[in-house]
Amino acid sequence: MPRHWRAPLSLLFSLFVLPICTSAANSFENTAIVRTVELGGALVHVTTTYAVKALEDGSSVYTLALGEQEHARTSWLEAKLKGQPGLLPLGDFGYHPESGVFLYTVDLPKALDTNGTANLVVETVLTHATYPWPREAAQKDPQSLKYSTDLFVISPYKTAVQRTKIRSPTPTVHSYTDPEDIEFTTDSVVTKSGATITYGPFYDIPPSATQDFVDAKQKQITIHYDYEFPIVEITKLERTAEISHWGANLNIENKIDLHNAGPRLKGHFSRLEHQTQSYFGRTSAHILPGMNLMLPPGIHSAYYVDQIGNVSTSHLRTVPSVPKGSNANSYSLLELRPRYPVLGGWNYSFTLGWDSPLEDYAGYDSATGKYVVGIPLLTPMPTAVVDEAEIKIILPEGATDIDYFPPYPALSESITKHITYLDTIGRPQITLKYRDLTDKHTGNIYVTYKVPFRAHLQKPLAVATAFIGVFIVALAWKRVDIRIRRK
Amino acid sequence: MPLAYALPSNLSPATVANTSSLLRIIALSLISGAAIASRLFAVINFESIIHEFDPWFNYRATRVLAEKGFYEFWNWFDPTAWYPLGRVVGGTIYPGLMATSGVIYNVLHALHLPVDIRNICVLLAPGFSALTAWSTYMFTKEMKDESAGLLAAAFIGIAPGYISRSVAGSYDNEAIAIFLLMFTFYCWIKALKTGSAFFGTLTALFYFYMVAAWGGYAFITNMIPLHALTLILMGRFSSRLYVAYSSWYAIGTLASMQVPFVGFQPVRTSEHMAALGVFGLLQIVAFAELVRTHVSSKHFQSILYGSVIVIGVLGALAFAGLTYKGWIAPWTGRFYSLWDTGYAKKYIPIIASVSEHQPTAWPSFFMDLQFLIFIFPAGVVLCFRELRDEHVFVIIYAVVASYFAGVMVRLMLTLTPVVCVAAAVAFSSLLDTYVDPVEPNVSNGAAPSAEADAAADSPASIPSTGSGATPTAPSKKAKKAVSADSSSSGLASGIVAAISPSGKGDKPRGIFGLDTRALVLVNALGMLLFFVLHCTYVTSSAYSSPSVVLASTNPDGSQHIIDDFREAYYWLRQNTPKDAVVMSWWDYGYQIAGMADRPTLVDNNTWNNTHIATVGKAMSSSEEVAYPILRKHDVDYVLVIFGGLIGYSGDDINKFLWMVRIAQGVWPDEIQEPNYFTPKGEYRIDDAAPPAMKNSLMYKMSYYRFADLFGGNQAVDRVRGQQVPKQGPTLDHLDEAFTSENWIVRIYQVKKEDPLGRDLKSANAFEQGKKRKKTKPLVRRKAVV
Repeated sequence: MPRHWRAPLSLLFSLFVLPICTSAANSFENTAIVRTVELGGALVHVTTTYAVKALEDGSSVYTLALGEQEHARTSWLEAKLKGQPGLLPLGDFGYHPESGVFLYTVDLPKALDTNGTANLVVETVLTHATYPWPREAAQKDPQSLKYSTDLFVISPYKTAVQRTKIRSPTPTVHSYTDPEDIEFTTDSVVTKSGATITYGPFYDIPPSATQDFVDAKQKQITIHYDYEFPIVEITKLERTAEISHWGANLNIENKIDLHNAGPRLKGHFSRLEHQTQSYFGRTSAHILPGMNLMLPPGIHSAYYVDQIGNVSTSHLRTVPSVPKGSNANSYSLLELRPRYPVLGGWNYSFTLGWDSPLEDYAGYDSATGKYVVGIPLLTPMPTAVVDEAEIKIILPEGATDIDYFPPYPALSESITKHITYLDTIGRPQITLKYRDLTDKHTGNIYVTYKVPFRAHLQKPLAVATAFIGVFIVALAWKRVDIRIRRK
Repeated sequence: MPLAYALPSNLSPATVANTSSLLRIIALSLISGAAIASRLFAVINFESIIHEFDPWFNYRATRVLAEKGFYEFWNWFDPTAWYPLGRVVGGTIYPGLMATSGVIYNVLHALHLPVDIRNICVLLAPGFSALTAWSTYMFTKEMKDESAGLLAAAFIGIAPGYISRSVAGSYDNEAIAIFLLMFTFYCWIKALKTGSAFFGTLTALFYFYMVAAWGGYAFITNMIPLHALTLILMGRFSSRLYVAYSSWYAIGTLASMQVPFVGFQPVRTSEHMAALGVFGLLQIVAFAELVRTHVSSKHFQSILYGSVIVIGVLGALAFAGLTYKGWIAPWTGRFYSLWDTGYAKKYIPIIASVSEHQPTAWPSFFMDLQFLIFIFPAGVVLCFRELRDEHVFVIIYAVVASYFAGVMVRLMLTLTPVVCVAAAVAFSSLLDTYVDPVEPNVSNGAAPSAEADAAADSPASIPSTGSGATPTAPSKKAKKAVSADSSSSGLASGIVAAISPSGKGDKPRGIFGLDTRALVLVNALGMLLFFVLHCTYVTSSAYSSPSVVLASTNPDGSQHIIDDFREAYYWLRQNTPKDAVVMSWWDYGYQIAGMADRPTLVDNNTWNNTHIATVGKAMSSSEEVAYPILRKHDVDYVLVIFGGLIGYSGDDINKFLWMVRIAQGVWPDEIQEPNYFTPKGEYRIDDAAPPAMKNSLMYKMSYYRFADLFGGNQAVDRVRGQQVPKQGPTLDHLDEAFTSENWIVRIYQVKKEDPLGRDLKSANAFEQGKKRKKTKPLVRRKAVV
């Protein structure tokens, strides 16, 4: 699970910090915690605001706690101070077996003195947090999902007041849990207004990131709500970026296994019903007839194929490339339509690729003599989750001194050899593997490398040699008489 | 000697030879380029895709070869074809095509050119068409000269008759077979001319390649013996013939037996007996020649008569006896249908149901060959003028191929090369005559008597130096232009001979001035130009459709792709279990296996008539009868093609009668063709359709819920142009699983048996809340309790 932080730099450091943040839970106090859950399909966005008060001088490391379920679903975690754009550095301390939670540290930009306050905003994106309910739906049925989560936000610190707001995308909420026997409150535990369901406020919660608290006080709440868009899950993404210096080209190819994670289709697909529905503009929520993708500007020669050939049902509107460094928000729009509407539980795998001018992505650093190429980690697909991603970057033949800087640490990374057209020794290929990527995971993988002048000439030389060889053989064949008898 | 126009005279023969050689190489490269380019319409208009039906199997087999290697391919047992029988692929195909692609694939990959195997398959036919052009050049060069060869190469390069089977994507055996055919013939002619065992062996090797590539190799197997036999009968037996034929037959037959699919056929079937017989005859004749050199002619006469009679009788008896004992298989049905075009329809409906086995319609000769078809006889006539051994070959080839092309559409393919060769010979003679600048010498009024004789032989030959009538060695065109004493025994002379039989030597004959030449040449070039236009038009409009993808036009003129087949096949591939068995009519078997990757009951390799008839029976009988058949064959999905919505006429309802006929062939008691016609003998699908038709599974699957689409309006089937009943058919044993965008492909899932043990019809009625009929006693339920 790639996240937006670095793993702890040294074991020593972790041994030093860990006792502090777990045992000395009295360096901070949460004056208020507000958790806002934006329900969605494949992705659920959770924003938690911690109003923090320091109890000691020089408190600069705040500890976050995530429950096991929460942790397993979290694919993106970032923290910042309210109203400030900069992200705060996060440290991963992994599972803490005594308390049964996962701990993260946030380094505050400057240490707080006693009674100093800060507003910490922690954003997470959850994947696979919802599931369709009912599990099966007929072609005409609407689509509704269930989402369950913990009632309390856990924290290693004491909390004065906390509440949880859950916002459904539609006002149609079929049901929600009304937990009973809740200690920390006097009023009604849950209120619903429109599409928002609020749990709390709960007052004076002791440090809750402990096994005891989780066992005794924690409750599960479940929301059953309508969702009007298909749930797109990409079970496997193989992305290949091939850099060509001779062609001044960056080719990006995505092999995508798409799955509709909505309710499984009950019964069978009826084209008649589908055509009637689309004619009246009432296509059911769980049918995915197509999607719009935002591809980079300046692309050309785009192709959209699957295992049995070209898919002719799509439109691409390209825009010219923008100068590097400008913030112009332009993109080429691809209206992608699968061969057939993808209903709940159906799969569709395809390949989508394009060429772009290399100068849009690459630069040359004359100080070090290295090329720098920034390759987008993903082509964003809104509201989709990518379960498994394998990203390959193929550098020019003969590239040396290769360094690469992925925006998120990969699960595994390797450099292998890849041989393609007219290569003699093969090209270096960087392979990175990720899991559970979302549309938040933008950013570039920066690769720097050197290409010696000799390597540039290798290809024409190899081709020229081959042709000269053929001509010499032909020459000899014409000139040498192998007949035994003269005519 | 007057010239019509001036020629450069200061050129050395070496310069002329080198220049003409360079020009020939350039011309051949351009012809190859044109041949390849004109076959790429399909790729440019559509995409790089495998066409039609059979190529999908070849492509699939090639992929196995490329991915798993040759031995895996050789031993490949495909359990997904002919479910549940399976198919031993390695032993039931001609592997030449796949092996060729596999070799190309491996060579390219070894050179670090990782071309996709699909692109190799798609572009194999255009690539080989360039080689065909070259081999036709070589062949025609042996007939006349290089200029005729170039013309023949250009003709075969763009003739629609050959393009129809070799556009990009048409990955079938014929793609490489025509090259092999022409090259084998070239080697044979060369071997015969030179009497060289080397060329005989080369003939045998290419014959072997041909055997490994195409079932049509039998054409070579019979053409060469026929040629040899004709030469013997013409009294042209020579040691050259003996060496060429014997080396070809001995090595070629042994080599061809190495192909598993052919096996012992070369010595056990009637199709191959001609080659064996001629081989034997050659030995006898050679022996007789040997004897003749040793005995006196009188003795020899009597020995010859006696032995010929005895050997002839013995040979015929042996052949009849072996056939009777079953050692030699009699002619196959496909072969009989070559002599009697009605044979297949009567006895083997499965052969007759293939459209390319139908007799050729006359217009298609013009469509496929354009002006070549009327130049062709002239070329054959010109072959009689010299009548060397190789000309005899072309004459025989022309006669035989013309007959076969008239009998079966697909054999147009074998006719095309000889038409190109003969037409090129004729056309090049015409050009030779009219380009030649030599004018008859008017002032030299009194011609010598020798020249008069020569002129009587060939009235139009120029009485220049008396060598006009003798067959000169084929000379290069350029050389010919400079040489003053060229022969012009051309087409024009033939025509002149025909219209002016009284060839008196009193007036000099020939072509005077530039205007006559220009008139004829412009006309000739015009024909060539229109030929090119015609070929381009026919290729682009008629022969470049993949048939997997259909094209139509939007109201604004842009192209609209109808891609229903792939939509449905891909749906099957992605959303059904890997082992789901799909039943469809055999036409779609290869495509389902190739694109949907699912087991099929029957496919285009129509080797098991009963299995196909079983599918035909299931399709043409009622649900109750068909359901046990489907369940017994583990069928999960049934696929039908229905064109009624958008007017796609090649659909299953139009093929339905063949299913009925084939099923009737096996179950004449249960399926009868007349039941599917109205009493008036009409084939109808509307209210007047007969009950057998309306209850058939095919009808129900095609029109299931079709009328609902029209929302209360009258539903019309746009292929049949008939009105579909408002109350559409109902299905109890099948569920509609998928229908493609334009309703061309409809897929139904076969229901499992009812878990409560009811029959599916009553279970269905229960689901829909219909009351049981009161008259029906509840016996069944009691029995269960």
